[in-house]
Amino acid sequence: MRKIVFSLWLVSLFIFAGLTVAQERFNDVRQKVADSLTALKTSVSSGDFENAQKHLDQAVSIWESEVKPMIREGVKSNEQFREYFERMDEVDRRLANLSQMLKTQETRELESEVNAVIWGISHHPRGFNVPQPRYSTWDWVFGLGIGIGFCGLAVVFGLYLRKSYYRRYKRQGEDSVLKG
Amino acid sequence: MWSDFIIIGIYLALMFVAGIFFSRNIKNTADYFLAARSAPWFWIMGSVWATNIGFLHGYLAHGGAAYEWGLIQANFEWFQGPFGYILTGIFFIAFYWRASIYTVPQFLERRYGSGLSVVYSLAWIVIFIVTIAAEFYLGGIFLKNILHIPFWPTVLVLATVVGTYTLLGGLGAAIMMEFVQFIIMILGTMPLLFILLHMVGGIFGLKEVMLTQWGISPQYFTVLPDLHHPYGPGPWIILGQCFVVTLGWCAGHQSMVQRNLGARSIYDAKFGYVVAAIPKTLGAFLYSVPMVAAPIIFARSGIFVERADASYGKLILNLLPSGMLGLFIAGLLSAGLSSISSVLNSTSTMIVKDIYERFLVRGRSDHHYFIAGRIATFGIIAASLLLVPVVLKVYLIMWLEQTLIAMVLGPFMGVLMLAIFWRRTNATGSLVGFITGGIFAIFLQQGLGVRVFFQISWWSFVLTFFVTMVVSLLTEKPRLEQVEGMTWDSDFRSKVGLILEERAEKKGIKVTEISRGDLRRPPWYLNIKYWATAILLLQIVLLLFFG
Repeated sequence: MRKIVFSLWLVSLFIFAGLTVAQERFNDVRQKVADSLTALKTSVSSGDFENAQKHLDQAVSIWESEVKPMIREGVKSNEQFREYFERMDEVDRRLANLSQMLKTQETRELESEVNAVIWGISHHPRGFNVPQPRYSTWDWVFGLGIGIGFCGLAVVFGLYLRKSYYRRYKRQGEDSVLKG
Repeated sequence: MWSDFIIIGIYLALMFVAGIFFSRNIKNTADYFLAARSAPWFWIMGSVWATNIGFLHGYLAHGGAAYEWGLIQANFEWFQGPFGYILTGIFFIAFYWRASIYTVPQFLERRYGSGLSVVYSLAWIVIFIVTIAAEFYLGGIFLKNILHIPFWPTVLVLATVVGTYTLLGGLGAAIMMEFVQFIIMILGTMPLLFILLHMVGGIFGLKEVMLTQWGISPQYFTVLPDLHHPYGPGPWIILGQCFVVTLGWCAGHQSMVQRNLGARSIYDAKFGYVVAAIPKTLGAFLYSVPMVAAPIIFARSGIFVERADASYGKLILNLLPSGMLGLFIAGLLSAGLSSISSVLNSTSTMIVKDIYERFLVRGRSDHHYFIAGRIATFGIIAASLLLVPVVLKVYLIMWLEQTLIAMVLGPFMGVLMLAIFWRRTNATGSLVGFITGGIFAIFLQQGLGVRVFFQISWWSFVLTFFVTMVVSLLTEKPRLEQVEGMTWDSDFRSKVGLILEERAEKKGIKVTEISRGDLRRPPWYLNIKYWATAILLLQIVLLLFFG
C-alpha cells in the first residue's frame, strides 16, 4: 500500500512538473537573448568583433523566432505580456543600432545600448507607473472619519473595560467578590 | 564559484546533522511540539524573527514586491510588523502561555468550544500547505538562477534537508537552528545594503536618478501611499494590515505563537516577542530598501530580470564577489529553511492535536501521537510539492499568500478581540461571526473583485465583530469556566495568583508567607514596556524620514 501511495505521489509530481515547462519557457528564451548580448559585450571589450557579431546574430535570431512570437501570442490572452509588447519596437530599434555599431566598430555607446536592450526585455516594476497622489474631499472625509471614529471607539472601549474590571474586582479596601 | 558551492554544501550538511543530533532528546509530544518549555527570551526573539522571515516573508517575495511596488513594502517591517509583535507580546501571549496549550485553536476551544476551533484549524492547515509550496517555489527559482541548477531537483533537495531536521527534531531543533540561522541571516545579508547604496549614491542619489532622470512616480518611494494606490493604499494599510492582518498574524499564526509556548516562563515568552520587533525593523534594510535601488543597477549593468520574484537572486548574483556570495546564499537558505521548518512543525501540530487526536483516534499513547506528528510532517511536504506548479502561475507570490491570509485573519481578529476583551461573547456568536466574516471575505475577493487584500481583511473583521456581538447578545451567556482567566478583566487576578503560587512552590512555603520582596519586577533595562515604547518611537522616526 505504501509503495502504491508513494508511486502515485511521484507520478503526479512529474505530471504537475510538466505543466510548469511552458511557464518557464518564456523566461528561458529571454534569458538566452540576455546571455548572448552579455557575451557580445565581453567579445567587444577584448576586440573580437567577429565573435561579437556571432553573438548579436544569435540574440537577434532568438528574439525574432522565439521571443517576439511568444509576446504577440501572449498579449492576446494575458495582460502580463503587455509591457513587453509595448517595448518591442524599441528593442528592434536598439538591436539595429547595435548591428550598425559593430559594422562601423564604433563602440563608445555599445555597452549602454546592450544594457538598454536587456532592460527592454526585462520585467519593469509596476510601481513606476502608479499615478501621482490625488486626494478627493471624500478621501479626507473617509480618512478622518475612520481615524477619529477609531480613537473614539478605543476610548469608549477602554472606559468600559475599566468599569467592568472594578465591578468584578473591588478596589483595595472593598470586598473583592468574584462574580460570574 | 566553487568556494560558494563548498560553503553552501557545508551549511546544508550542518543543518542535516544538527537535526539528527537534536532528535536524541525528543521523547514525547511536549518535547516535539513545545521544546519541553525550556526556551529563554533571546532564543524566542531569534526564533520568532527567523520564523517570520523566510523566502516568502522576507528576502525573495518581499524583495520581489519591493522591486515591483517600491518602498511601500517596507511598511511590513517599519510599521505594522513591530506594532503587531509588541501588541501581541503585551496583550495576547500571556493568555496562551498560561492556558498550557499546544495550538491557537486549543485556546479558541477553551473559550468558545470546539466548533470555531475546528474551522480555524482547517483554514490554517490549507494556508500553511500553500505557504510551504510558495517557499519551495521561491527557493527553487532562486537557486536555479544563482547556481544554474534545474528547478525541480533543487526543490527536492530543499524539501529533504528541511524535512529531515524538522521531522526528527521537532520544535526544539527548529528553535535552536533558527537562533543560529538568525545570526547567519543578518551577518550574511547586511553587506548588500551598503554595497548597493554606495553604488547608487545613497538614498538621496537614488531618488535623484529615479525621480528626476527617469521621471517615475514619487509613490515608488512612499511607505504609506495615497488612497488610490493599486497595491496598498495608505489608509488601508493602517486599518486592514496594521490592526487586523499583522496583529492577527502575530497573535493567530500557529508558527509564531508556538515559539512562545515553548518559552521557559511568561516573562521570556512576552519579552522575546516584544524585542523580536527590533530585528523585524532591521529586515526592511536587508531586502526592501536594496530592492528599491535594484532597478538602477539592473538598467545600468544590463542584468536581465524575468519576473519580480526572481529579482533579488539576480541582484546578488551580479553584485557579490565569489565567497561572499556563498555566505549570502547560506544566509538566505537559513531564512527559507527556518520558515519552512516552523510552518511544517506547526501544521503537523495542528493536524495531530486539533484534528487527529480530537476526532479521529482518541485515547492512544503519547508515543502514538508523536509518531503521527512525524507522519503528518511527511504528508505536508508531499502535498506542498504537488502545489508548487499551481503557485508558479501566480504573477506575484506575495499577493496570493496575503490574500489568503487576509480572508482568515480578518474574521479571526474579530473573534479573538472579543474573546479577550468582552466576557459576554459566546461560542454561538463567535462561530456565526467567523463563518459570516469568512464568506464575506471570499465574496469581496471573488464576487466584487476587490484586489487590495487590506480592504478584504478590514471589512471582514468589522462584519465579524458586529455579527459576533449581536448573536452573542441574542444567545445565552458563556459559562464561568469559559471566561475566568481567559478574558482581560479576569486576567490580572489570576496572573498575580499564579506568580505567587509559582514562587511559593520554589521556596517550599505557603502562598500566604510570600513577602512583598518576592514580587519584585525585572530590572528597568529588561522592562517590557520601556522596550516597547523605544521600538514604537523608532518606527515613528522611520516613518517621518521615509513617509
